[in-house]
Amino acid sequence: MPALTPDQLAAFVEQMYGKLDRLSYYDLLGVSSGTSQSEIRAAFYRVSNDLHPDRYHALGDRNLKERLETIYARICEGYRILTMPEKRAAYARALADGKMRLTSTDRESRAPQNPEDTIKHDEAKKFFRLGMISLGRKDFKGAAMNFNFARSFEPNAAIINQKLGEAQAALGKPGGPGIKAP
Amino acid sequence: MSVVGIDLGTTNSVIATVRDAQVVVVPATHGGYLHPSVVSFSSDGLKYFSREAVARRIVDPKNTVYSGKRLMGLPFRSDEVQKAITRLPYELREGNNEQAVFVGPDRTYTIPEVSGLLLGYLRQCAELFLSDTVTGAVITVPANFNDAQRRATIDAGRIAGLDVLRVLNEPTAAALAYGLGQNMSQRIAVYDFGGGTFDITVLQVEGDVFEVLATGGDTFLGGDDMDTALLNILAELFRAEHGLDPRTDQAACARLLIAAEQVKRHLSDFPEARGELKNIAVGNQGEQLALRFHIARNVFETAVRGLVMRTIQTSQEVLASVGLAASQIDEVILVGGTTRVPMVRAEVERYFGRPPRTDLNPDEVVAWGAAIQAENLAHAGDNLASRAVLLDVTPRALGIAVTGGFAERIVDRNVPVPVEQTRIFTTSADQQSSVRIQVCQGESRRFDENVPLGELELSGIPPARRGEVAIEVTFRVDTDGILRVRARDATTGVAREAAVNVRGGMTDVEVAEAVERHKSEESSGLPEILDPEILE
Repeated sequence: MPALTPDQLAAFVEQMYGKLDRLSYYDLLGVSSGTSQSEIRAAFYRVSNDLHPDRYHALGDRNLKERLETIYARICEGYRILTMPEKRAAYARALADGKMRLTSTDRESRAPQNPEDTIKHDEAKKFFRLGMISLGRKDFKGAAMNFNFARSFEPNAAIINQKLGEAQAALGKPGGPGIKAP
Repeated sequence: MSVVGIDLGTTNSVIATVRDAQVVVVPATHGGYLHPSVVSFSSDGLKYFSREAVARRIVDPKNTVYSGKRLMGLPFRSDEVQKAITRLPYELREGNNEQAVFVGPDRTYTIPEVSGLLLGYLRQCAELFLSDTVTGAVITVPANFNDAQRRATIDAGRIAGLDVLRVLNEPTAAALAYGLGQNMSQRIAVYDFGGGTFDITVLQVEGDVFEVLATGGDTFLGGDDMDTALLNILAELFRAEHGLDPRTDQAACARLLIAAEQVKRHLSDFPEARGELKNIAVGNQGEQLALRFHIARNVFETAVRGLVMRTIQTSQEVLASVGLAASQIDEVILVGGTTRVPMVRAEVERYFGRPPRTDLNPDEVVAWGAAIQAENLAHAGDNLASRAVLLDVTPRALGIAVTGGFAERIVDRNVPVPVEQTRIFTTSADQQSSVRIQVCQGESRRFDENVPLGELELSGIPPARRGEVAIEVTFRVDTDGILRVRARDATTGVAREAAVNVRGGMTDVEVAEAVERHKSEESSGLPEILDPEILE
C-alpha cells in the first residue's frame, strides 16, 4: 500500500524536483553521513516502499511519474554509491568539493595525466611520442606507422593500441566525425 | 476486466491471474498448464497454436514456428540468428530495419508478430477460462534480455492488444512468488534453466522488499540444447543401423527432435529409456525406416555435462561479482523445466552445498510472480495493491562508441533501476557539425565486442575546434529495463532525445499496422481447438 496519496505525492515531487541537485545522497536517503552500510540499506528499503515508481504505476499523470522516476533514480544512485566503500570514500571527497553527485569522472580512476607514463619500454615510448606528434599534425599514416613501431616493442600497452586504433580509424575515413571522451 | 501475468517461454508459456487474492493458472486446452510456444501457419491464413501447432511441426515443419523467443529482438545478421537458422526448419529472411522475419505461406511475419499471435491466443484462453476480458499483462523476460529484446516483447504484447504493464525479469518474478507474504529475511538464488535460456539471480528478501543484488546468464543455453544433444545421439544410432544420416532430412529431424524431448523427460524419472520410433525416414528402396533405441541416463548425462557445467560457472561468476560465496546463500529456487533433469539438481546442490527448493512448480512459478505483479501494478494507487517492492538492476553495462573502436561506459552492470547517468563527450575533428552516437550493451572495452543496440545523431553543432565542444549524453533506464538516450550540445543547448533507432526492431508504424491487422483477424472468431491426441 503506498504511503502517499496522489495529492501528497504531487506535493512531495514538486518540492523535491526543484532542489534535487542541491541534495546530497544522505539528504535523499534521510540519513546522516556516519550511517552504517546496513542502516543505509534499511533506509533505502523504507524510502523505496514509499517512492518506488511501481507504487504509482496506475496514476494517470505522466509528468508527475516522470519526475518521480528522476527523483527515485537519484535515490538509487545514492544507495549504490554509499554502500560501496570505495565509492563512498570518493563521494566524501566530492562532497568536500561541494559536489552533491558523484559523476563518472570522479568515480572512475581516470587515465594518468601523461598517457605515455604507462609505457614501460623506452623505445616504445620514443615511437609513441613520435606517433603523437604525427597525430597532432594529422599525419595519420605516419602516426599509424610510429604507433606500430611502438607496439612492436611493447605489444600490450593499452594507450599505444588505443592511439593506433585512432590513427587507423582516421585513415579509414579521413575527417569523419566521431565522438570521444574528453 | 482482468490483468494477467504471462511467462512467455522459449518452449512453453504459462498465463496466470489473481482472483480473490489467490493465483489462478489458466489451464491449457489439452490439459495441464503449459501452452507450447508454437504457432503454425497455413496458406489460407489459418493459424494453429499450442499443442495443435506442435503436431504440425511434423507434417508442416516449414510453416511452424517454435523457439521464436530465441530470435526476439535480434537483427537478422546477428550471430545468434545465423546460428539458429542452421537448425530451424522454417525460413527466416532479412526484413525492414535489419529484422529477422519469418517467411510464412501467405506473407512474411516479424518475430514480435508471431509472438503477438501467440500472446493473443493465450489471452483468449484466459478470457474463455475467466469469462472476462483481459486488458493488461505483465510479461516476463530473461533477466539478461537486452533493450531490443525487451522492446520486441512489448511490441508483441501490443500486437496482441494487451496493455503491457511491465516486462518483468523472470527470476525476480519467481522470487516474488516464493517470498511474498512470508516475512522473511533471506538471501536467495534463483537458478533458472529454461528451454532456451539460463539465468542466475541473487536477491535479498527483507519482508516485502525484493532487491536484486546481481544477475547474469546465457541467452543461448537451455533445455533445447539438451534436446539437440539427444537428437545427435539418436541420429548416430540411426546411422549405425541404416547407414543414413537422418539429420539431412528436415521431417526426420523434426520427428527425432520431438522424440529427443520425450526421451529427456523420461530419463528424468527413469535410469534408461528404450523404445522404437517408426517412420523416421524413407530408405533407398522407398521403405519406411524405424529406429530402435536404448539410451542409459549416464550416456545422456555425459552428452550434456558441458552444458550443465556452464550454468555452474556462470553462477560462480555472478556470485563473485557481488563478493558472495555459494555458502552465503540461504535458499536456492529452481525455475524452468530443465531443472527437472536430475543431474542439474545434483550439480546445483553440489555447488551451493544445500538441496534446492523443490516445492514450487518450476514451470509455473514465474507466471505466478508475473500475475502478482500485474495485480500490484494495475491497482497501484488503491488499497488493493500488495506491498511488494521489486528493486531490480541493469543486467549489462551500457555505453557508446568512441574513437579508436572503443566503448565508453555510461551505465554500469548490476546497478539499481531506474537509473539516470550523464557523461560528457567531445568532438574528434575540427569543425565537426554532427556526432553519431552509437549505443551498445556489454562490458567489453572494445565496441565491436559488445551488442550494438542502435544509434542517434546530434547535428547542428556550431563550428569549433575538436575537443572544444561539450556533448552531454544521458542514459536513462526505467523499471522495465528500457533505455532512453538523450544527447545535448551543452554550449548551444540543442538537445536530441531519441528513442534510439533499435537495430532489428519493428518501427512504430509497423507495430500499429500489425495491431490493426491482428484486431481484424481476431474478430473472425476464436481459434478452433482440435483434438489434442494427435501427437501420442
